[in-house]
Amino acid sequence: MSKPRGLIAHTWSGLKKDPLGMAGFVLVSFILLLTILAPWLAPYDPLDVNVHNRLSGPSAAHWLGTDQLGRDILSRVLYGGQVALKVSLVAISVAMAIGLLLGMLAGLGPRWLDRVLVIGFDTVRSFPTIMFALAIVALTGPSLNTVIGVIIITSIPVYARVVRTQTRALRQRDFILAERAMGASTGRILRDHVLPNIAAPLFILASMDVPAVVGMEAGLSFLGLGVSPPTPSWGSILNDGYSYLRNSPWPIIAGGIPLIAVTLGFTFFGESLRDIFDPKLRGKDR
Amino acid sequence: MTAPVLDIRGLSISYGTEAGALKALRDVDLEVGEGSIIGIVGESGCGKSTLISAIIRLLAPNAQIVQGAVNFKGRDLLGLSSEQMRALRGDEISMVFQDPMTSLNPTLTIGRQMSDVQHRSTVSRSEKNACSVMMLERVGIPDPEAQLKRYPHHLSGGMRQRVAIAMALMAEPSLLIADEPTTALDATLEVQIIHRLKELQREFGCSILFISHHLGVIAELCEEVIVMYAGEVVESGPLREVFIDPKHPYTRKLLECDPARIAEPTRELPVIEGSLPNLVNLPDGCIFKDRCSKAEARCGIEPPKMSGDGHRAACHLLDHFQETSP
Amino acid sequence: MSALLSVNDLRVRYPVRGGFVDVVHGVSLDIKRGETTAIVGESGSGKTTLAMALCGLAPVYGGEVRFEGELLQRDRKNRLNPDRKRVALMFQDPVGSLNPRMTVRKALAEPFRIHKVESADPDREALGLLDKVGLGEDFADRYPHQLSGGQARRVGVARALALRPHLLIADEPTAGLDVSVQGEVLNLLSQLQQEMGLGILVITHNLNIVRHVADRMAIMYLGRFIEQGDSQQIFSQPRHPYTAALLAANPSPDPDAQPGEIELKGDVPSLLQRPPGCEFHTRCPGVREKCRGLFPEVSIDGEHRQYHCFYPLDN
Repeated sequence: MSKPRGLIAHTWSGLKKDPLGMAGFVLVSFILLLTILAPWLAPYDPLDVNVHNRLSGPSAAHWLGTDQLGRDILSRVLYGGQVALKVSLVAISVAMAIGLLLGMLAGLGPRWLDRVLVIGFDTVRSFPTIMFALAIVALTGPSLNTVIGVIIITSIPVYARVVRTQTRALRQRDFILAERAMGASTGRILRDHVLPNIAAPLFILASMDVPAVVGMEAGLSFLGLGVSPPTPSWGSILNDGYSYLRNSPWPIIAGGIPLIAVTLGFTFFGESLRDIFDPKLRGKDR
Repeated sequence: MTAPVLDIRGLSISYGTEAGALKALRDVDLEVGEGSIIGIVGESGCGKSTLISAIIRLLAPNAQIVQGAVNFKGRDLLGLSSEQMRALRGDEISMVFQDPMTSLNPTLTIGRQMSDVQHRSTVSRSEKNACSVMMLERVGIPDPEAQLKRYPHHLSGGMRQRVAIAMALMAEPSLLIADEPTTALDATLEVQIIHRLKELQREFGCSILFISHHLGVIAELCEEVIVMYAGEVVESGPLREVFIDPKHPYTRKLLECDPARIAEPTRELPVIEGSLPNLVNLPDGCIFKDRCSKAEARCGIEPPKMSGDGHRAACHLLDHFQETSP
Repeated sequence: MSALLSVNDLRVRYPVRGGFVDVVHGVSLDIKRGETTAIVGESGSGKTTLAMALCGLAPVYGGEVRFEGELLQRDRKNRLNPDRKRVALMFQDPVGSLNPRMTVRKALAEPFRIHKVESADPDREALGLLDKVGLGEDFADRYPHQLSGGQARRVGVARALALRPHLLIADEPTAGLDVSVQGEVLNLLSQLQQEMGLGILVITHNLNIVRHVADRMAIMYLGRFIEQGDSQQIFSQPRHPYTAALLAANPSPDPDAQPGEIELKGDVPSLLQRPPGCEFHTRCPGVREKCRGLFPEVSIDGEHRQYHCFYPLDN
């Protein structure tokens, strides 16, 4: 009989058995590291304009070439990662926190509250994201905060619905009833018994949501609804490069590859996490 | 006695696990004579489910048949193609499961499911329906015509199990495998179903392999019994002999533990001390020796073989027991 | 001796489409300290709902319950509010009633933490409890899925008895256990009962164990107790035909035993359509005209022996 292992050890040994998940984990860590270290790694200031050396291909001085204003693309991609990271981190954690709260309220609260909240979630979900973003931008003007706001609002229902379903399922489970029979307060049940049991699926959902959010940010920035120039973002790099695709493919390639890498990395990693924590697969080591 | 319908010889099955091969079944012999009802008794982990899955060839993907043969009416089931096996299942061999809800499709009417079972027959739909009605009548379902239009969830647990039995017997199989068919039912229904099974077996003349952990149900229904422990057959023989004069210490203990057999009420019920052996790293010698109060030195060295005629048991101490018991 | 738990005409009613069903339909019983009372019934008889109601997990529609003389109050949702330190509940599914993400140690410390028992160090208490139920300290750091059915059941017993309750309600304490293990759990309960003077209410359909563990028993059918009294008396001389049928429906592992004589016809009627008159008349082998129209009020026979039948059996 194996000794119970900690969360991290359990995750790690699970990853070791899943090469694709491990590849995702390595990719994700690599991208995170590059992005965090952008100020030290970037060879140039991403905003440094040098019109004499515009749209040049890769060279010893500019590994990924330069854009239409002669800015170093590598530096812009590295700094652009910070925008992507900031947006996904802030947007997902805020959306998750609010979703958690609303989801548990719907799952445990009285029936009328559940109905009201579910109708709310469905209404928000039924808006097309881009139209919604356009409306908000028309009101507030394009900015990073607008992007984050739009993503938060459209993501809350996703988390809230998962939390609601999980909470409702847990509510009927014997161990929750057992806690109530022992006289535990609702707060205690939520904190010690509901939360730990929905945390894992929630974090897995979040890790799989990162590429979607990064993509959404890039999409909004590409449409000019996101970060305002000259701030580098993967989306704005693509947008800038798009107009000059015939002259030089490098901005598009350089802006696209990290997007693909993030998507693949987080998807593989998230799916692997899901398999590792799937209760049906657990307990094999009994 | 005629040739057995089902004849299993030396069957050993292992499961591949992270810790190594889990030897779930070891050298199992089993014979089901034509028209007989054989009971298999054993507690969790004894290998009952693996044995059934092997007979109907629906083993888990990580299972491996190490050796042995499963002969059904002279054909080696382990050598059949999956096509041939599929033709056999539901036609020559049928099953009744513990929970009838899992074997009935909740989205189809009883009538539809019962005519689906007759997919091999070429008669018209109305003839199939007539067949279904007749079958439902025979398993004791009131107003069978009306039941055909109902869905499984409309029926009570006992009625559902009757429908499942009717469907299993539809093709007039030679062998019916019943896996704990009454465990999920209430006591009063359990008796109804057992009596009905006994009658139907007489009418259809099929053989029944009846798996249960409930010794009382086995005693009521079966003529012969096989006792399994930790993947081995430890005792087999005519029911009366095994239950009245058990030869293997495990069988003795198991019977002693059944509160139904203890006449005087007691607050200290007997138990079998210890736990099942590890089936990945099997102990040497007898599989039951660690929990046996009478184990001797040789029990730890050499695994005992089944011995005896008719009533057989695998125990080194058989000779002692025969001396002590009249 | 006064009763530990005294239930008087308890009712549990649930709304359904187009009306309501009375799952528990006016039951009364007394449980004494140090005694085991068994409630026996088939599925749908309402026995688990009764247990849930007594523990404050199901709303009560009517009747009163006294615990150690005090009348239990109802909360906003009509649930009873017993003193959780003195009334403990053991669930049917031993693994399912443990939080899958909590170690055994944490699960056993829960009762102390919930009630903020100051004198106790929850972790030390947990180890003491493990010892009491015959599990070693190495079980403390296991998760529920790493326990066998019998071991999980022992953890359940330990958790229920942690705060030294006066009443234990055990719902199917041997469900899913092998015959060779169920004795262990029942012996443990009997032993702890003697040590602690515990009153136990066992909810079960397993008559074989009732005969050994119960001092008193009540037989439940469609939400009512159709017979109750001393369990030895009931086993030797059932008065209600349903009780007799249940006893006879218990196949004996003795091959020479005569099979049950009484076979009940049909199924338990739906709670939505309670039969008029005696509710058992649709299945009763000895039904007569009077049974179809009139409800048999309680008959009292000797000390504490009660049943609802116009034509009781007198063997």
